[in-house]
Amino acid sequence: MKKGLSRRRFLATSTAAVAAGALGGRDVQGQEPTAGSRQKQANGPDSAQSSFSRYSRYHPSFGGPPESDHYLGKLVPGLRQSGLPPVPFEAPDLGKIPWRMVGGVKEFEIRCTPVKREFLPGQFMNVWGYNGSLPGPTIEAFQGDRVRFVVHNELPEPTTVHWHGLELPVQFDGVPGLTQDLIPPGETYVYEYDLHQAGTFFYHSHVTMQESFGMAGFFIIHPRIAYDPPVDRDFGLIFQNFFIFPNTATPDSMAMDWNWHTINGRSGPYTTPLVCKHGERVRIRLMDFSPMQHHPIHLHGHTFWLTGTEAGRIPVSAWVPRNTTLTGVAMAQDFEFIAFNPGDWIFHCHMTHHMMNHMTQQVGPRIRKKVDVSRYLADLPNRPPVEPSLARPAFEVPGYPQKMQGMEMNAEAMRKLNGRRETRGMRKQWHEGVKGLMTVLRVLPEDLYDRVMHSEEAIQPGEIFEAVARRK
Amino acid sequence: MLFIFTSCASHNLPSLGGQPGQSAPFEPENGTTAASPQRTGERKPLFGGVSSLEPVLTGGEALSLSKLEALARQHNPTLAQAKAQIQSEHAKALEAGLYPNPVIGYIGEQINVRGTAGEFQGGFIRQEIVTAGKLRLSREKYQARASAAELLALAQMYRVINGVRMQFYRTLGAERKLEVQQELLETAEDRQVTVQEMFNVGQANRADLHQTRVLRQAQLLNVQQAENDLAMERETLGAIIGLLQPLGEVTGKLEAPLQPLVWEEALERLLAESPELAAAHANLKADEIMVQREKVEPIPNLFIEGSAGRNFEASETVYGVRAFVEVPLFDWNQGTIRQAKADWRRQRNEVRRTELSLRQSLADWFRRFRTALQKVTEYQNVILPQSEQRYVTRLKSYRADRETWSGVLEAQHDFFHRRLIYIDQLVAWRQAQVAIDGFLLVGGLEPPAGVVPPGHIDSVPKPR
Repeated sequence: MKKGLSRRRFLATSTAAVAAGALGGRDVQGQEPTAGSRQKQANGPDSAQSSFSRYSRYHPSFGGPPESDHYLGKLVPGLRQSGLPPVPFEAPDLGKIPWRMVGGVKEFEIRCTPVKREFLPGQFMNVWGYNGSLPGPTIEAFQGDRVRFVVHNELPEPTTVHWHGLELPVQFDGVPGLTQDLIPPGETYVYEYDLHQAGTFFYHSHVTMQESFGMAGFFIIHPRIAYDPPVDRDFGLIFQNFFIFPNTATPDSMAMDWNWHTINGRSGPYTTPLVCKHGERVRIRLMDFSPMQHHPIHLHGHTFWLTGTEAGRIPVSAWVPRNTTLTGVAMAQDFEFIAFNPGDWIFHCHMTHHMMNHMTQQVGPRIRKKVDVSRYLADLPNRPPVEPSLARPAFEVPGYPQKMQGMEMNAEAMRKLNGRRETRGMRKQWHEGVKGLMTVLRVLPEDLYDRVMHSEEAIQPGEIFEAVARRK
Repeated sequence: MLFIFTSCASHNLPSLGGQPGQSAPFEPENGTTAASPQRTGERKPLFGGVSSLEPVLTGGEALSLSKLEALARQHNPTLAQAKAQIQSEHAKALEAGLYPNPVIGYIGEQINVRGTAGEFQGGFIRQEIVTAGKLRLSREKYQARASAAELLALAQMYRVINGVRMQFYRTLGAERKLEVQQELLETAEDRQVTVQEMFNVGQANRADLHQTRVLRQAQLLNVQQAENDLAMERETLGAIIGLLQPLGEVTGKLEAPLQPLVWEEALERLLAESPELAAAHANLKADEIMVQREKVEPIPNLFIEGSAGRNFEASETVYGVRAFVEVPLFDWNQGTIRQAKADWRRQRNEVRRTELSLRQSLADWFRRFRTALQKVTEYQNVILPQSEQRYVTRLKSYRADRETWSGVLEAQHDFFHRRLIYIDQLVAWRQAQVAIDGFLLVGGLEPPAGVVPPGHIDSVPKPR
């Protein structure tokens, strides 16, 4: 279904937004408007915007010269109207920290805790995080809020919390020794300050090895009125690395190598797909909290505009179109695009070793014929004879084999992968192409979106994908 | 046929079969044959039939320990030698107690006196009358030595059976080690294939390939050495048994319940029941008798002579009688008595030396036993299960794509290698147990010990 776009000028709307933000008071109930209520208010009867008619939100289109606001959908708005509060932030597989209003201050309770996180189905890892989550649950606030964080240290060693990117009083910056004493185990520490910024920020331990153990989380500060052009989706992804030896579940934070990769605490294909409707304007906030690895993040099927960093919003004149954006350690990158291209699109770090987990050499029985490890397990005092794999003709080609043999997933793991609503109707073997720092962006026509995300009817593997392909 | 009785020695042997609860030295593990004579009350022949050079094994059958022990009783030549030594000592006892023969002769005296044939033409008979119980003492002395010979033969039987048992376990261990070495060869070949696979994808280089060939060939040599070791162990086993034909596979278990020994109990049993010590006591008894014997030697024997003949000068038949003794005026056997006493004193210290030697030897075997037992226990309880579990963990991890095959092979090699060490410790433990249970008597092809040590007073043509 295509809807018309309302005509308005970006700069005018932006001005109105700033004005609205200045007037917007704090919610005394301690609750922000829900997405549904906002959507209902925002979608006007006619939002046609003829000035952006040179760019189709439903088909591939160029949109004019690079100087144009149409160019690659640069300023093409979403389906929501301008002048409204932002859509709720969504970080798949992560929760949010609830807050309560105390004396005009939004008060959040943060517990620094050990965490057992399921990176892959059945693969539970021992990491550290906040409120039982790795990464920590999202702190979501609004520009102009005064916030208070009551931090309980439930770790066996001291810690602090640093509020990354925030311009705040120095005594709350969370640097051990320099600005405060470490919070001893079992003790509580309170941080309180005003938020005058807006953007993608984060919080993390300022004890180095605790950072390597995963102690970080999003701190999203919204403007009172959403930036123009308004987005319909606001997703967040935290990229992390760990080094975990085979046969252990605890990371080695001293290691210089990193072999497990997570997005919001899960490895592909256990990362939950981002699902949006065809034609929506989507913002994705990337944050790299890997200990030592930068990530060139690549989205298939779309071109996106870099619209923000960990410092905040980028002026429109400085936006950059990309298919791949390099996100460095402790950096955030916001990018926006029109989801014009229906389908299941891989969205991944392009470093080859980050596109897999716990890599092992592709030699031994897994590339030999008729050799199964269970034969070794069945008769431990002895072992099967060795099969000379090199006798096969393929080995005459140096470099063979290069194929990363797929991990065998048992039925329980497959149930976990496909038991999530967001994966319904994807191809049966979709998980074979989604590993490590990978997730999937699903752009679905509205009817298919509703079937996947709202209906209870059975959907066969591949059914949605094939329906999308047929329509093309 | 000669029989061994437990009461044959002057030294008291409460149980030749070992203490209650311990495996009897002459009792196979399965208890099917050759129970200890004293335990069963049966009289078992110490020695079997005469050794034969003809093949006695039909071949093809796996040889159990009891079968091998039975063969050794029949064919080990040192047991026949020990038997001959017993017979020799008994022969001496017989000879030493025999009464002296009479002397008869013809006498012609004063021939041609007065033109006659002589004053005496006739015969005589002379008999030595042995006094002071010399013959009885001599016989008792040699009977005591015969008892010592029987005890030494019993010790030789222990040496042979212990030797068979030790060699049986060494052979069994060699068979198992060969199997493990062959598994290690498979691992080395797998490592070579694995590195070749890695080479094909740039994860190994030519130097790695060379190294895997070195390791594979070195392991092949280990297999060949294990084969040579096994052949040697089998030949040795056959030699101890006394067979000239090659032995085949042996069958049995290296493992058994691990029961610790108490030093004081083992020492007490050894000193109370050792055949070597019993033989030393028997020889001391013989030397005591020897002193008595030499002391009575100066007591003169009486020589009586009677004659009958014709006195041709008097033309009548005449008779004569004589009696005489040797007067111990200058030689009253004082030197030999001193020598006998010296031998007795020497033998008395020989008993003490034997005790101390046994104690020293037991300390060594006990150390070996305790060390091997500790190692076997730890290998069974911790090291092997943990090494195996490490191998299993890596196998499962490899199956889950979390481990390299090289890592699996390393764990596999470690597991197999530790099994080799375990087998060595099992053999060491078995050998020490056999030695301690068998009164430390080892060396089934050493010649049986003689009764009389070099330089001892020995028999004259007429043993005394």
